[in-house]
Amino acid sequence: MVKRVAKDSVSGDEVDSQSLNENGKRPGDVPATETKKRLRTKSLYRQPTANELNRLQETENLFNSNLFRLQVEEILQEVQVKEKTEKKFQEWFTEFKNHLLSIPEDDTEYDLTEPTLAKKLKVKIPVGDELAKTKCMFRFHKFTDVQIVGSYAIGCSISSKLCINLQITVPADTYTKNDSINYRYHKKRAAYLAFIASHIKTHESVTDINYTCLNGSRTKPVLDVTPSGKLNKYLTVRINLMCENEAYKLHRFSPLRNNLREAWLFGEESADNTEVGPPTPYYNSSVLQDLTASVNQEYLKETLVNRENLKQAVVLLKIWVRQRNLQISGHVISLLVAHLVQTKRINNIMSSYQIVRNVWIALKTSEWDTKGISLYKGENTPSLEEFHQHFPVVFLDKTGYYNICWQMCKGTYNALRRESALAVDMLDNGKINSFLPLFMIPVKPLMQFDQILRFKNFQNLKDSVLAKLPKPAKLNYGVDELALVTDSLHELLAKGLGDRVDLILPMAEADFSWSVKVKPEKARKDSYKEGLSFGFILNPENCLNIVEKGPPANLPEAEQFRAFWGDKSELRRFQDGSITETCVWDADSLADRRGITAQIVDYLMNIKFDVKPSELFHIGSQLESLVSRKQYSAQCEESSVEVLRAFDDLRRDVRQLQQLPLDINAVYGVSPVFSYCEPTPALPRRPLNKPWRRGNASLVKEIIREDGTWVAPEYTPVCKAVIELGHSGKWPGDIQAFRALKAAFNLQIAERLHKQYSLPTQAYPSHIDVLKNGLVFRLQIAHPKEITLLRKETENGVAKFRETDESIQLQCETVLMPRLRGALHGLHQKHPAFGPTACIFKRWLCAHLLSPPHFPPTLAELLVAAVFLHAHPLSPPTQPTAGLLRVLRLVAETDWAREMIVLDFNEDMKREEIMELESQFAAREPQTPKIHIVTAYDGDLPSAWSADAPSTQVLARVRTLAASTLKYFSNALLDDMKDNVLAAFVPSLAGYDVIIHLHSQLVPYTHERVDRPALLKPIGEGESDVIPVIEFHPVEKYLDELRSAYEEFALFFHDSYGGEVIAVLWKPDIAETKEFQLLNANALKPVTTRGEVKYKVNIEALVEDFRILGEGLVKEIVVN
Amino acid sequence: MKATKRVHDFKALELKLTEDSVSPHTIYIKEHAVREHTPDKPSGRTLFIVNLPPYVDEKGLSNAFRDAGTIQTVQLACKPHDLDKSQTNKFIQEELKSTFKVAYLVFAKVAQLDKALKLAELRPLNSEEHKIKLGMSKWIEEHNNSVIMPKVLKEQVERFMKKHDEAAKNTEKKEKALEEEDDEGWVTVTKRGKVQSFARSEKVENKIMAKEEKNKKRKELKNFYTFQIRESKMKHIVALRQKFEEDKKKIAQIKQSRRFKPF
Repeated sequence: MVKRVAKDSVSGDEVDSQSLNENGKRPGDVPATETKKRLRTKSLYRQPTANELNRLQETENLFNSNLFRLQVEEILQEVQVKEKTEKKFQEWFTEFKNHLLSIPEDDTEYDLTEPTLAKKLKVKIPVGDELAKTKCMFRFHKFTDVQIVGSYAIGCSISSKLCINLQITVPADTYTKNDSINYRYHKKRAAYLAFIASHIKTHESVTDINYTCLNGSRTKPVLDVTPSGKLNKYLTVRINLMCENEAYKLHRFSPLRNNLREAWLFGEESADNTEVGPPTPYYNSSVLQDLTASVNQEYLKETLVNRENLKQAVVLLKIWVRQRNLQISGHVISLLVAHLVQTKRINNIMSSYQIVRNVWIALKTSEWDTKGISLYKGENTPSLEEFHQHFPVVFLDKTGYYNICWQMCKGTYNALRRESALAVDMLDNGKINSFLPLFMIPVKPLMQFDQILRFKNFQNLKDSVLAKLPKPAKLNYGVDELALVTDSLHELLAKGLGDRVDLILPMAEADFSWSVKVKPEKARKDSYKEGLSFGFILNPENCLNIVEKGPPANLPEAEQFRAFWGDKSELRRFQDGSITETCVWDADSLADRRGITAQIVDYLMNIKFDVKPSELFHIGSQLESLVSRKQYSAQCEESSVEVLRAFDDLRRDVRQLQQLPLDINAVYGVSPVFSYCEPTPALPRRPLNKPWRRGNASLVKEIIREDGTWVAPEYTPVCKAVIELGHSGKWPGDIQAFRALKAAFNLQIAERLHKQYSLPTQAYPSHIDVLKNGLVFRLQIAHPKEITLLRKETENGVAKFRETDESIQLQCETVLMPRLRGALHGLHQKHPAFGPTACIFKRWLCAHLLSPPHFPPTLAELLVAAVFLHAHPLSPPTQPTAGLLRVLRLVAETDWAREMIVLDFNEDMKREEIMELESQFAAREPQTPKIHIVTAYDGDLPSAWSADAPSTQVLARVRTLAASTLKYFSNALLDDMKDNVLAAFVPSLAGYDVIIHLHSQLVPYTHERVDRPALLKPIGEGESDVIPVIEFHPVEKYLDELRSAYEEFALFFHDSYGGEVIAVLWKPDIAETKEFQLLNANALKPVTTRGEVKYKVNIEALVEDFRILGEGLVKEIVVN
Repeated sequence: MKATKRVHDFKALELKLTEDSVSPHTIYIKEHAVREHTPDKPSGRTLFIVNLPPYVDEKGLSNAFRDAGTIQTVQLACKPHDLDKSQTNKFIQEELKSTFKVAYLVFAKVAQLDKALKLAELRPLNSEEHKIKLGMSKWIEEHNNSVIMPKVLKEQVERFMKKHDEAAKNTEKKEKALEEEDDEGWVTVTKRGKVQSFARSEKVENKIMAKEEKNKKRKELKNFYTFQIRESKMKHIVALRQKFEEDKKKIAQIKQSRRFKPF
């Protein structure tokens, strides 16, 4: 042990000296041998070296925490490009460059409208037919240099999917003065690219070359080269064409200038052809990008070169952005860092952590959409206002003419800003290891968004949108239609949804790569599918509003409001006396209200772009049908509210009871329904016809139909609550007497409730049943002394207190549960999607036959709570469907052998406590995977709710099921766009040994199954003076008997929400021969093999027992 | 080899629920023979049965062994020797768990036991007069039985409390008696006696120990000697180092489970 510690410390110091080097503050050239010698003799108590002290100090000052620092170091090492690769690339590049520079001059002039050039080069020119009408003559001028640019040149590239950018500067002679208009520049550029492609296509250092269009900009292709040899496993090379600065004056492309003539684009031959049209900043930027590239590249180099901490920060930011799948290039990030260096907000003396943090803070508070930033410090360039008029996001480059974010949609910028805010929050949250959610966990659209909008036929949609857009906009975007459609749809959605959404992120699938030998049109038709979807993150406060309040009717804004909303807008008078234009959406239930966003989108798309709702596909409400009782068409949430209301009344009644020996201090609800987590909440029952009664309770009648089947009363659940009595020292010190006294209390409370409020009540030894508003509540007296009595045992005359199974159970039920239930109720109030998500998750678990006790219901609720409390790196979901997906991912992707979850509902736990719990968990034996969730209320029983179940096997099964369900959802929703995904809730019965089929009329909730048609029944109403038959659940009773009798031979699986089958799985050792022992003779039968008597489990008899025990309930038993 | 020997003491028989049961369980019977016999399991007349299926009840078992002779009592238990833990002093009686059981059958005469041991076949559990309640009918009965009239419950409570009070009084009396000098002049010290002693529980003991510890600590001087100051500084560094080591272990763990590949 000592040896190991010493070794660890050595490596610690090595890291230390290395990092000092990186910081560039002090050369850590302590000879390694000397260090080792010194340390070998010393343990934890050795004298600290200056280096070590420095490092400890630094960690405290410069980094979030030690752990964070170590993790940053690890990840940076991981993404670093390997030296071997670098060397190989350098060799390859030298050869490749030589070859490129040997490209022959060509003095011929080609007419680009003719196919002669393409024929000669034997590669196609990578521009589409849209530009066919542009006429220009092209002549190839040889370039002088090939440069490595981009992140690889600066040294902040990421080794995974490494793409090295090469830049070839096209000589200014290639372009004439007038080439800047009508895509002539682009066409020539493409021809130039084809020249290069043709030159390298047969060279041995290249295995494959493709044209690629980035971000859907069709007019500016680049050349993707796959290097030959082993190198292509690690990287690809991208050749980009730039333009010499001298070619054009930059002010020709300032945002107010027009460079794309209307006549050209719309093909109109009007008389005044020379007239200059509206400004085309988007088109201008596409040229400016090439013109300004070298200036910006130089500037980046100057700022970042040899500044390791800045580079590290850029790498970290790039990882962060890539995990979030944002359309933001590394170039923009580097320039942003450069900008912050320029404004002196960060510098290289800061640690990478501090830089990253400062960048996030700067982003969080930035307003590039209204107050853009600029790297250019001089004057005489177009003002920022000009840019703001034409671009949604403004970030000007070193020249002051080029908007680096010209292609960025406002949604993307908002996402960036939002993610930065979340990142800062995560860093500030000391209770989580913020590193993982920040850099390691990928953010997937299906998890991230509450709702996703997709289009069933994107081409049609594009056409209908384009048909409605004004000309100047079309002119600005030129042939880049996707960008235009994206921006206009985003604008519409953002305006229409307003504060209902926190974020609308457009997600375009627009990168397109094709072989150099194929014409772009053909390739596009064959293999390219353009796609666009919008992700919505809803605002939890506003997204459920039914009413959209507009401006008062007498203001001029009212007219605009009416114009925007069309017929939906109407005048309404509100309670506060205001009369305003208003839109009112249809929604009766909470579930409907969650669908309002989709309703608005459907409506707007229809009136603005004439797109029918059937063309749109919304992901987000597919599982809503599972949060209602099909049979009664009652929504779970509304029913739960009813129960809570009745319970509140009852609670008031109970607390005002008089003539009791002890006061009733408090009444707490413990059933899941009190936190909206019950998929089948109790519904009011209609009074019974002529019930058999004893006291105030009904009895079950034995009714057998003529065909021999039994009839059972409809299952009625009770809602459980615990009662806390006032303090008294007079409770007996004997557990049995204690219980007898409790029974006496039950009698009295029942009697008083009946007398004072004339409620039907029935007392039992352990509880009281009360009927209130047609719902049955079960009250149980809780007293801490009972738990103490159960724990007590005497040893050597000393009373000691030890946990027993019984005491733990009682503590969970009467002490922990009320508090937890309260906390979960609070959680639902804060996040209204919590309850429905828990319902769906429970349904899912049970649908796969993992009903309690295999997977305890409380644990399921806690897992769902974890998704809402620890949503990092996302924000808590507002839709149950998104919630379920996240729970499934939590279950499937967490490494349960190593990770535990701490649920701290109200920030009660200290960081030290959590660390203590974590180290306890890490030290547990054996280290098998196990769900371990500790809540702030667990006290002495950490992870009380997951102590026994699920077993390792069940957990493994849940994980595989969750993973495959997720896969199914992602296929069905994202790819197939199916609305009915309930197939994920139908179990597979394959793999079980015995299937017991039950008579469905005796199975409670059987009408709630997803594969059953709904049979409507009215909800009962009316007062009754007798409690109906409650908690009579034949299937549960049967399962209890089976489990208690045969748990050593088999496992029993069932769906508690109406499952008509019980699936039985024999234990693996069932067929083995056994020893006969007096205490272990159960179910054995003698078998004679080769004259010897052996014993085996009598499986046939067991199966017959299943039939015998389930008489009247079992329909059929199938042995597989 | 011991095990096989013991098996031979038992005789295997098939026990059917009804005449037409297809695959019945095999039960094992032998004479109940222990060193000390209790009156409820008299020597020579008691038959010991193991591996009885969960649904067996007393009457059914009598039915099965009807051919051997009159059966005085049938005692069912989950495990052998489990009977002694009587439930008589429990307020809420627990149901016998549904599981495989053992039984002790007491015959009226010794000869009947011999006859029973020689039986080649048993009668089914169900007979004309008695059918074991199973499935739906059993659950309905159970459910209905659980509903008690308030009056009955009240009586139950009163009866139990009366018994309990009496028992409590008895023990108190006994304790009082202990306080008196016994023959050799010893006095037992109890909670209620003249000589007050503290409650003997773990909690109280811990409290006393904690108090002692505290007193000891109070007398100590801290930050007085140079070595103490030096040590406390060292301790701070050690704590930091320990944290560092712990974090490194955590990193190793994360490395193992999630590798540091972000993509």
